[in-house]
Amino acid sequence: MNMEASKNQSSSLPDSTDLAKKRDLMQQRVARSLKRRHAQEKRFKLIGMTAVGAALLFVVLLFTTILSKGLPAFWQAHISLEIYFDEEIIQIDDKPVRMDGESEAAFNDRMLAWRTQLGFINFNRLILEAISKEIPEAPEFQRDAMRLVTSGERFGLRKMVEEDPSIIGTTQRLWLLADANVDVWMKGNIDRDLPDSQQQLSARTRAWVDDLEAKGVLKNRFSTALFMNPDSRSSLASAGLAGAFMGSLMMMLIVMFLAVPIGVASAIYLEEFAPKNKITDFIEVNINNLAAVPSIVFGLLGAAVFILWFKLPLSAPIVGGLVLTLMTLPTVIIATRSTLKAIPPSIRSAALGIGASKVQSVFHHVLPLAIPGILTGSILGVAQALGEAAPLLLIGMTSFVASVPATPFDQSTALPVQIYLWQGNELRNFFEARTSAAIIVLLALMISLNAVAIWLRKHFETRW
Amino acid sequence: MNTGLIDGHTSQAYDAEMNEIVNDVLAMGEKVTDQVEQALRAFIQMDSELAKQVIEADKSINDMEVSIDDKCVQVLVKRQPAARDLRAVIAMIKTIKDLERIGDQAKRIARMAGNASSQIMAPKAFSEFEQMGLRVNQMLQGAMSAFRQMDADAALQVALLDKQIDNDYEGILRQNMTYMLEDPRNISRIVEMTWVGRAIERIGDHARNVCEHTIYFVKGRDVRHVDDEQLEAVVRNR
Amino acid sequence: MEQPAMGAMQMTFDEKKESKPASGAIKMSARNVKVFYGDAEAIHGVNMDLYENEVVAFIGPSGCGKSTFLRCFNRMNDTIDIARVTGEILLDGRDIHDKKLDVVQLRAQVGMVFQKPNPFPKSIYENIAYGPRLHGLVDNKTDLDEIVETSLQRAGLWKEVKDRLDAPGTGLSGGQQQRLCIARAIAVSPEVILMDEPCSALDPIATSIIEELIDELKGSFTIAIVTHNMQQAARVSDKTAFFHLGDLVEINETREIFTNPQDSRTEDYITGRFG
Repeated sequence: MNMEASKNQSSSLPDSTDLAKKRDLMQQRVARSLKRRHAQEKRFKLIGMTAVGAALLFVVLLFTTILSKGLPAFWQAHISLEIYFDEEIIQIDDKPVRMDGESEAAFNDRMLAWRTQLGFINFNRLILEAISKEIPEAPEFQRDAMRLVTSGERFGLRKMVEEDPSIIGTTQRLWLLADANVDVWMKGNIDRDLPDSQQQLSARTRAWVDDLEAKGVLKNRFSTALFMNPDSRSSLASAGLAGAFMGSLMMMLIVMFLAVPIGVASAIYLEEFAPKNKITDFIEVNINNLAAVPSIVFGLLGAAVFILWFKLPLSAPIVGGLVLTLMTLPTVIIATRSTLKAIPPSIRSAALGIGASKVQSVFHHVLPLAIPGILTGSILGVAQALGEAAPLLLIGMTSFVASVPATPFDQSTALPVQIYLWQGNELRNFFEARTSAAIIVLLALMISLNAVAIWLRKHFETRW
Repeated sequence: MNTGLIDGHTSQAYDAEMNEIVNDVLAMGEKVTDQVEQALRAFIQMDSELAKQVIEADKSINDMEVSIDDKCVQVLVKRQPAARDLRAVIAMIKTIKDLERIGDQAKRIARMAGNASSQIMAPKAFSEFEQMGLRVNQMLQGAMSAFRQMDADAALQVALLDKQIDNDYEGILRQNMTYMLEDPRNISRIVEMTWVGRAIERIGDHARNVCEHTIYFVKGRDVRHVDDEQLEAVVRNR
Repeated sequence: MEQPAMGAMQMTFDEKKESKPASGAIKMSARNVKVFYGDAEAIHGVNMDLYENEVVAFIGPSGCGKSTFLRCFNRMNDTIDIARVTGEILLDGRDIHDKKLDVVQLRAQVGMVFQKPNPFPKSIYENIAYGPRLHGLVDNKTDLDEIVETSLQRAGLWKEVKDRLDAPGTGLSGGQQQRLCIARAIAVSPEVILMDEPCSALDPIATSIIEELIDELKGSFTIAIVTHNMQQAARVSDKTAFFHLGDLVEINETREIFTNPQDSRTEDYITGRFG
């Protein structure tokens, strides 16, 4: 009896020590695996941080190159000239004033005649005279002298007279935009040691430029030309983004007013009302596929359908807008649908349970909650469309347009296309900076669009 | 024991708790039955030593009641029993109350045995007594057996026995009356005997209550304060 | 001698069963209601009556169809594409599937409170005002204010929120939100209120407040409540219906169901003997 008890004890004791040993062993194993796990964690963190760091580095690199290249383009060489609006040169009748009882058409006719008269006046002579005041030998070297001022400025003078004929006979000190090559020379964007044959400016002009710069007559000043003027090929220094900007703006408006309502409406229908069956599945698959179609394909489609079939004008914002709308639609639909999906179904049941109809439950409760998401999706879609160049190339928006479009049916370019065009300009030294400046404008536009998206989201979300 | 009625919960711990209470009640019932038997023996044989033991043992019955009560409360708190389980717990709480009362009656009988003033009583008078004691003991065992089997029919049969014990008690009362007239010296002893008879009759009542609790548990009908016909009707009904 | 005794006994038992004052007329009734999800039959022909001013609790294991059946009473199953309901459901004797009865009208009469408190992400006031406005129950702001106040009062929430009716309903505690949902449901003065596990997301205190509220609302509404909490069913309901695998196994007075159920499946379920 005693023996058995002791045996029992002895047999139960090792059991417990066994258990303790086993536990120790387990602990050791856990400890060992811990080290490995921690190492794994550290490694993953490191990889993640490297990835983020690399991405940041690229962003910084991109912005610094663009900014460093583009920002100087906002400051352009200007020449300070004392322009005498010589009545000898500007021989013109008084500007017509509408008389009592005169018909609109008759007045317009007289105005047109006056303008035509103005158009015949050689404003370059005013500029040349003014230059002569700074450089006495200028009249002998007319060609070289006229290279100092960009050719577009004579139209500027003409405009001044047209707007206010009373300045005829007065002298005005004006900052005129210098020629693109002068700008290049002054900024040192061309190698000064190149032989004459490879220089854009004659040796004489170059000497004048240095001389005038030293006198303070030539100066780098902030220029609005980039924003205010359309593209130009004759007066490169005054080539601006106004046309492209307007073109892009019009297309964006078209996209917003077409893609967003159509996209949101179809998303709401598909998500909330459409029966779930094979047809809607098919539609859903196709929408997803459409979102993955390369944008250039939409350009082809636009060219085929809108231009060849609907006979819409070539390189017009209306066509570009329609093409971009097609491209943006799937994005908007998908974004809206996923936002709607994320709205808790309990809200729908709550509305239905109280007796709201399906439409009421969607429009009173689901949609207000989805608005921030829908807005964000839409604006990102529009922003994406804004940056798109490829489809526009195929509908003729690459053509050179020297005017600001007034209607969506006028010829126009778009910002990304303008960037592409300038990038290919022959006067690389001047247009490299200008391209970057255009990119800055485009980026600023996109960032502000995204900012609006974020603000809208916050604004609508913080309400509740 | 007919465990099917209280077993089979999804929670095995619940089963264990219920079984433990049932076993405790059965143990208490056994103990109480012993007490009654020994108390009667002590009284009849004038065994004051045995009587003392019985009085002593009553404390453990009271402890058992408290302990089972506590376990029932724990089950109520933890499991919130419903239906059959609820009835089982309620029935057992009531059963142990009755068992405890039976224990008290046994103690009372034992006290009488301890105080036994004289031995003048004729032995023949005790035969009636012995028979009544035997009957009540059988009834008690039957009640506990019916509870163990969770058998309403058996409980009904046992409950109906109560009437006989009541009759026995009436018979003893009448008989004692004649004894007292016969020999006034026996009066105090006979009064004691009457008290004991009364105690036995009470034990029978409590045993019947135990049966009623069992019937309540099995049939889900409260059968207290109904006469025998109604009781039968309830048990046979379903 | 025997006959009267039997009668007397029968009386005592019947009296116990009907000790509660007798309820009103039948408010809603379901006749041979079947619900199909696609081809699968989820409810196998259930008959049930809901009486006026009475609370019926639906209990049963998960997936037994009690919620599905509850949702038949205000046709919430219509919102599930693949669900199909057959059989007859009557509200005051009219078939609720009648073409002439608009589901919007039905839901104004048969309100619903959901498992998760789901106030609209609007102000407390707007939450209550939405229903009455939707159904054109009021003509002016004063009346609407009154409805909002009485609804909140009946839901026992008025004192807690009267100073911040413009605060978002989603900013309330879980229990308050659920009472807000109840207030929202009674704001359109329905006749029946369906509650689908209204306390499953609440703590015990909030639960007991809602249970007390149900007891008070019983005076004016017919209430059907689905619950997983059997003690809750025992506490709040007059009748309890036990569902199992799409069948209504047993419906009876709650006190009977919880002390002496007739069907062994009911008994197994309420005593915790279910697989």
